[in-house]
Amino acid sequence: MSAQLKITNLHKRFGGLVAVKDVSFNLHPGEVVGLLGPNGSGKTTVMNMISGALTCDAGRVNVNGVDLTRMKPHRVAKHGVARTFQLVRPLPTLSVAENVLLSLAFGRKRHWGREARDLVEEKLAFVGLAGRGDEQVGNLTYIDQKRMEMARALASEPSLLLLDEWLAGLNPSELRIGIDLVQHLQGQGMTVLLVEHIMEAVRALCSRCIVMSAGEVIAEGPSAEVLDQPVVIKAYLGDDHA
Amino acid sequence: MTMKTSFAFALAGLALVVLALAPLVLPDYWTGVLLGMTGYVTLATAWALFSGPTRYVSLATVAFFGVGAYTVAVLNEVMPYPLVLLCAAGIGMTMALLVGLSTLRLAGVYFVIFTFGLAELVRQTVSWWEVNVTYTMGRYVFLPFEGRHIYWQLLVLAAVTLLISWAIGRSRIGLALKALGDDETVAAHAGVDVTRIKLLLFVISATIITLVGAIQAPRWTYIEPSIVFNPTVSFMTLIMALLGGAMRLWGPLVGAVPLFLLFEWLSVSFPDHFSIILGLLFILIVFVMPNGVLAKFDDLRKGNRA
Repeated sequence: MSAQLKITNLHKRFGGLVAVKDVSFNLHPGEVVGLLGPNGSGKTTVMNMISGALTCDAGRVNVNGVDLTRMKPHRVAKHGVARTFQLVRPLPTLSVAENVLLSLAFGRKRHWGREARDLVEEKLAFVGLAGRGDEQVGNLTYIDQKRMEMARALASEPSLLLLDEWLAGLNPSELRIGIDLVQHLQGQGMTVLLVEHIMEAVRALCSRCIVMSAGEVIAEGPSAEVLDQPVVIKAYLGDDHA
Repeated sequence: MTMKTSFAFALAGLALVVLALAPLVLPDYWTGVLLGMTGYVTLATAWALFSGPTRYVSLATVAFFGVGAYTVAVLNEVMPYPLVLLCAAGIGMTMALLVGLSTLRLAGVYFVIFTFGLAELVRQTVSWWEVNVTYTMGRYVFLPFEGRHIYWQLLVLAAVTLLISWAIGRSRIGLALKALGDDETVAAHAGVDVTRIKLLLFVISATIITLVGAIQAPRWTYIEPSIVFNPTVSFMTLIMALLGGAMRLWGPLVGAVPLFLLFEWLSVSFPDHFSIILGLLFILIVFVMPNGVLAKFDDLRKGNRA
């Protein structure tokens, strides 16, 4: 099976600090993979280099056989990579529907007009915001803003979805809703790379995990095995717990 | 097109006809007032085209306005008038492209300061050139235009500008502009080529502003840098757009009409205190109605209903 996302020897330095060091991994089509690691281990930096928010110093990013290394974010989006943000970033002067419409209008297929309006409603219904397109994003609850952001990401019709702590800050019942949504996407064959700290979500969603620490990949494999490895527990909790 | 848009178009068309016929019955003074007002309506609408949704506050208005006027002053005896206008538009466009490419990376207050500096730079450069290279300080514009001829040209430009603003507002470019005004990063990740859209709008806006300067040039007869590069033009444009609401199609017009009349009256009645009053008004508008009069009306209406 050919890889959908192929990262080879990715390297990023901020001044004297090496944030990401020689990171390589693959994602296969339809996989939901967890990218884990303690704060500051370089997960978000990796995400940013895939989505084009940051350019890498060395290495390659390849999606669906296309080399996206050092490509600008808007072009990466057009090659089928969509993302959410660590802290939700709704566009406040736009309505809920317009937030989603933006990605439809500038995504892979550049939808507009009547057809785009129907698709907006479809995306909103998928995330559980049916009929709420005319609301102001400022009036949405936190979970609904997260839903809206998911709809906006899906509206560019990606083949690879990057979720950066998308489930963070949700209460237990909201978390259930969030996990169900990602599972629903998984059912549709979406490939997802998930940066996540909530182990419950990681165990429920990810068949495979990649663990980073201090900018390097320290473990990789099926979730159940990886999460119990001493080196992973040590990275998260310190020496005493290993 | 919906009933409502057709009706709005019919109404706007009717208003345009009435305004076009006005100089035939009005005394010259009032044609002059209408002329100045139409100029500022166009300036404010063109300014808001870029600065409204993106929130890049530009004080370079007079740089383009002055370049337009100066182009006419330099070329009016060399080539036919339509060609002169075309040249002015071309020069404005090129200048906007260069300025845009080099500065649209600047954000917030840095952009404001840069654009203010740009206006001053252009003015000083033109002055230096005139004094040291062409040995002229001030030029004459002899074109066979009366006030109403200039007014009619401006009226057409104003209508075209409003039409452009309307078309952009309902296009995907309009959506992208609002989005990048909110959050450039999110817009970029949604697939918007942020730099290109900003540049495009900056160039359209600046070209229209250049044309306003070019069309108004014959009105002065005598032109020198301190007249056509007067920074007050930039400030007035800005304050008019803000008063009406720079995010709305009719906002700049709603702001420009009363403020122009007010300034006209002030400059006649209190010529010495004009700048002070202008400054105070500026502060007042930003404090009381940061989103403009039209937004204020909306708020009041919503408030009454609630």
